[in-house]
Amino acid sequence: MGHLASGGGRSPGASLSVPVGGRAKALPWWRTPSVRRYLFGYTLLAPAVLYVGVLVGAPFLFSLYLALSDASVGAPVARFVGLENFTSALETGVFWTAVRNTLVFTVGAAVMKGFLGTTLAFLLVQPFKGRRVVRGLVVIPFTIPIAISVLGWKWMFDSQFSVLNWALSGLGLIGEYGTPDWPVWLGQPMLALASVMFVNVWRSFPFSAIVLLAGMTSVSPEIIDAAKVDGATFMQRFRKIIVPMIAPILFVGAAFDTVFTLSDLSIVYLLTNGGPDGATEILPTLAYNTGIRGGALGRGAAISLFLFPLLLPAMVLLLRTLRRRQY
Amino acid sequence: MSDSRLVQADRPTVTRRSFLKVTGAGATGGALLAMLDARQAPAQLKGTSLRVILWSHFVPAYDAWIDDFAKKWGEQNGATVRIDHIPHLELPARYAAEFAAGAGHDLIYFAGQILTGQYYRHLVDLSDLANDLGTRYGPWMPSAKSAAQVAGVWYAVPDYFISIPVLWRKDLFESVGRPAPKTWDDLRVAARLLRPKGHPTGMQFSHCNDANHNWRALLYCFGAKETDASGQSIELDSKETREALRFAKALYDEGMTPEVFSWDDASDNRYLASGVASWIHDAISAFRTTEDTNPKVFKETYVLPEAAGPGGTWNVGEPNVWAIWKFSKNVPAAKEFILAVANSQKEAMGASRGYNMPFLRRRYDKPMPGLGQDAKLGTLQEQDKITAFFGHPGPMTPAAQEVLTTFIVPDMFTRVARGASIDETMKWGVGEIRRIYAKHKAT
Repeated sequence: MGHLASGGGRSPGASLSVPVGGRAKALPWWRTPSVRRYLFGYTLLAPAVLYVGVLVGAPFLFSLYLALSDASVGAPVARFVGLENFTSALETGVFWTAVRNTLVFTVGAAVMKGFLGTTLAFLLVQPFKGRRVVRGLVVIPFTIPIAISVLGWKWMFDSQFSVLNWALSGLGLIGEYGTPDWPVWLGQPMLALASVMFVNVWRSFPFSAIVLLAGMTSVSPEIIDAAKVDGATFMQRFRKIIVPMIAPILFVGAAFDTVFTLSDLSIVYLLTNGGPDGATEILPTLAYNTGIRGGALGRGAAISLFLFPLLLPAMVLLLRTLRRRQY
Repeated sequence: MSDSRLVQADRPTVTRRSFLKVTGAGATGGALLAMLDARQAPAQLKGTSLRVILWSHFVPAYDAWIDDFAKKWGEQNGATVRIDHIPHLELPARYAAEFAAGAGHDLIYFAGQILTGQYYRHLVDLSDLANDLGTRYGPWMPSAKSAAQVAGVWYAVPDYFISIPVLWRKDLFESVGRPAPKTWDDLRVAARLLRPKGHPTGMQFSHCNDANHNWRALLYCFGAKETDASGQSIELDSKETREALRFAKALYDEGMTPEVFSWDDASDNRYLASGVASWIHDAISAFRTTEDTNPKVFKETYVLPEAAGPGGTWNVGEPNVWAIWKFSKNVPAAKEFILAVANSQKEAMGASRGYNMPFLRRRYDKPMPGLGQDAKLGTLQEQDKITAFFGHPGPMTPAAQEVLTTFIVPDMFTRVARGASIDETMKWGVGEIRRIYAKHKAT
């Protein structure tokens, strides 16, 4: 067996004996460089995995457990009922109304936020006096506690004392109070859904604008100038240069916004609680009223889990596109 | 051949276990009665703390009163009492969280949404307290048991209910030649005459508490029943329900505006206080709001305990009950506090300006605080005789609670008011209710 001649008393100039034809002593597998490298990498990753596992995975698995059981608020340890809660939800008309409203709410709000956020970002990227102050002010809707801002809107949409209606009526744009031309924002089905969407847009589009603005400021002005010199129009610069360059930021922002909007309970709960007659019912309010207020935890959890198949394709699409662009 | 059972029956049957049970119960009951007489809490409360959760009362003066009462009670008994007030609609979520955590408030409160049936396995048996209060101030209204008992055991102690009468404008009724209303038909005729004059009526066709109570009152007054008395069989599919829906459609078409589809619990208060409404169906908080904000309208506003219908006169109240978690860290203090508040019911009712209606019959001795001295509100002093609660005539079971929180009954009225056929609406509503009850039966 070969070995390296060694010794503490080796004198300078002493020859190093290297066995010929022998093999170096094999390291145990866990000490090989590749394993150690992986181990180091996974150690660094562990806190994030643990965080996701505890704060996301565990609640998700728990809601899955609830959805497959007949658990109620007073009896969380319950009997396995298979997919009964899911089929029960699918059998009700209110559920399908909630699915439809949830999709309309999410997609409609996303489109409006995209349009308004982009417009605002372009305005805010221009140099003008007081730009920093204005940039600070536009995020106010996003920073006010949601309960307070929504209660403010509740007053503005009030059927009798709506400041919007009285102003519009004063301008002659709508009829007088008590006439059929007086809009009842939270009482007419289409208007009610539009109103809750509007509040969501009002609250969130500054976030979209800020995300876009952050991306736009990272695009080198030289590239834009070069495009201008080459004769690119505003829309061409936006579509061909700015959007592709800031796409990763846009995708992450869109992913966040979709999740926040789809699971937004507060606005609908505080403005209409899903009424009138389900006109603004969305999956989160239906799940809350069934599972928490009604006490049927299993059915509430099943309804809320229907958000998952709605979210999953959107998230997969966004993240895959993002990855393709990165590599 | 001798029968051993007969021989055993002749023997004295006092075992060690039964002796301890009887003497233990006797001692507890005796101590409680002694405390009731002395109105003094036991010494073991000294140095302890009590956490109480209550809803934010619609009459802020009552919250101030109960906070002060708790402070003084704590000082007298050497205990620290902390009361948290939160909006009533948030209470169920709070209880779900407390139950899941196995920790929270020592003394809890079901306001409007009665969760006794959901949580009773985890609540302290309060039968001793409830029975003693019944003996002292009772009997309890029959419907009180529905809010607080499960299988004959008191897992909660009723505190008070909120009555929801008719508040009507005498000057407006007189202006169209109408006398004081007595029936739903009287109210409908007045609304039909007054809407063209700018004074419609309104009841919520929306997802709020008042919508649940108001339309149930109309249903019950028309003789409709949600379930049978046992709460097991659904009885809503009836000609009485159809008549009530038909009446509501006419009432909406003739006497309301589309505003009612957007209303919350406070919208009708404002409608009355603004001077627009000819009549509303709401708690006396609306009466008090008008008193404070529009004295001219208040002067003309009168109170009808409930309008009569073809099926009788039924007012639908909003019940409020105390309960104690089994995991409460201070059960003795929690029980003592319930007892102390019950003993001070007259002061409490006065502080609520007549809002908190008692469940105990002898508390209806006239004059009642906040009501008896008031010529208009004095009519509410017999509200115990006409009050029913959701699920009527059945109990407030978890299934009835889920029907309430998913707003199926108000949605049925909304659909019909908007033009849906009564048959289609009945099919939808009763179908939804049957599905909910079937689920609860299966568990």
